[in-house]
Amino acid sequence: MFITVSIAILVTMALAIIRALRGPSIYDRILAVNMFGTKTVLLVSVVAFLFGRPDFLDLALAYALINFIGVLAVLEFFQSRSLRRELGAAQQRDSL
Amino acid sequence: MTILLAVFLLTMLVITAVAIVRTRDLFAAVMLLGIFSLLMAANFFVLDAADVALTEAAVGAGISTVLFLGALALTAARERESGDSRWLPLVVVVIMAATVVYATFDKPALGDPNAPVHQHVAPWYLSETPRLIDIPNVVTAVLGSYRGYDTLGEVFVVFTAGIAVLFLLGSGRPGELFSRPPDELSTGGLKHHLIPRVVGKLLIPFIILFGLYVQFHGEYGPGGGFQAGAIIAAGVILYALLEGETRALAALPESALKVMVIGGALLYTLVGVVCMLMGGNFLDYSVLSTNSVAGQQLGIILIEAGVGLAVTGVLLSIFHAFAARATA
Repeated sequence: MFITVSIAILVTMALAIIRALRGPSIYDRILAVNMFGTKTVLLVSVVAFLFGRPDFLDLALAYALINFIGVLAVLEFFQSRSLRRELGAAQQRDSL
Repeated sequence: MTILLAVFLLTMLVITAVAIVRTRDLFAAVMLLGIFSLLMAANFFVLDAADVALTEAAVGAGISTVLFLGALALTAARERESGDSRWLPLVVVVIMAATVVYATFDKPALGDPNAPVHQHVAPWYLSETPRLIDIPNVVTAVLGSYRGYDTLGEVFVVFTAGIAVLFLLGSGRPGELFSRPPDELSTGGLKHHLIPRVVGKLLIPFIILFGLYVQFHGEYGPGGGFQAGAIIAAGVILYALLEGETRALAALPESALKVMVIGGALLYTLVGVVCMLMGGNFLDYSVLSTNSVAGQQLGIILIEAGVGLAVTGVLLSIFHAFAARATA
């Protein structure tokens, strides 16, 4: 059963990579990375039981806790960039 | 099953690596590097190297993406086309890769019990650790005690790297990681987004708690100072992203970070010096207590605390340095 589940997760990971490679918009890539992180948590959990080492679940826990920090940073990056662009456009209008 | 998983993950790793090299869109490269790091950690895990996987997870999943974005905020969004011919580098890389692949034919098979690496000192570590140090995680025993010199060297490498980055970026006045226009939003952070803020702030105590667990549970499960330092730094960086750099620096000022960086490296060295003063060799913890096993355990806990302090301090200093540079 664990083998079937891990194969299913691997297929999902491959699909997420395809989306991250093809893009085309930045939001596709952000979602792909976020989903890939979630799938890694799942894969690590399933493999931990498959190999009979459930104490290695610590690793999945670490991922689950800090995986989304990168995504938050990406969102703030784009928020501040669009704010700067709006300000730049407004300044150009004022100077005309 | 291990082979199958490893081959699949490594194939995806190669595809991702080629895509990172080929793309001109630096933001796409940052996102793909996140996937690269996740794949690498999953691969370490499949190969049963849980301690390494935890390090890669802690650094790759949280911190490196944030630092890459900080660098991206300082530079252009796209890589410049270079006019140089790329045939010579390609030929060199192909020849090197072919040599390495050829060399692996002589390598013992994965998990071969007769491989030299399993015949050298590993059996001694496995058989003597319960008697000498009495902790279940032999990796921590090797890192902290048997190869204590090497780990001290690693801490100094982290220390030196931190100083080098601070020299390059300059530690100016504190600022935001991603500079923003001077309007009402200039306080920084994702303050105006309720959901990330509420959920993120709920998670911060658990991240710090988990970091402390990894720090002090390193003798029993995967973990130790390096991993714990990265996780705790990720927690503080999350706070900085949500509430703005200024408040993060107020909670943990730069002077405190400096004390952590220097104090961590010094604590490790001092443990070694105290061992010498008490009549043992440098970093021979057996003399720290009347019972040599208890002395070893005390020494490992102390040096892991030093490692954790130094790594947290260095990662946060680098983060703040990027932020100060972005605002200047």
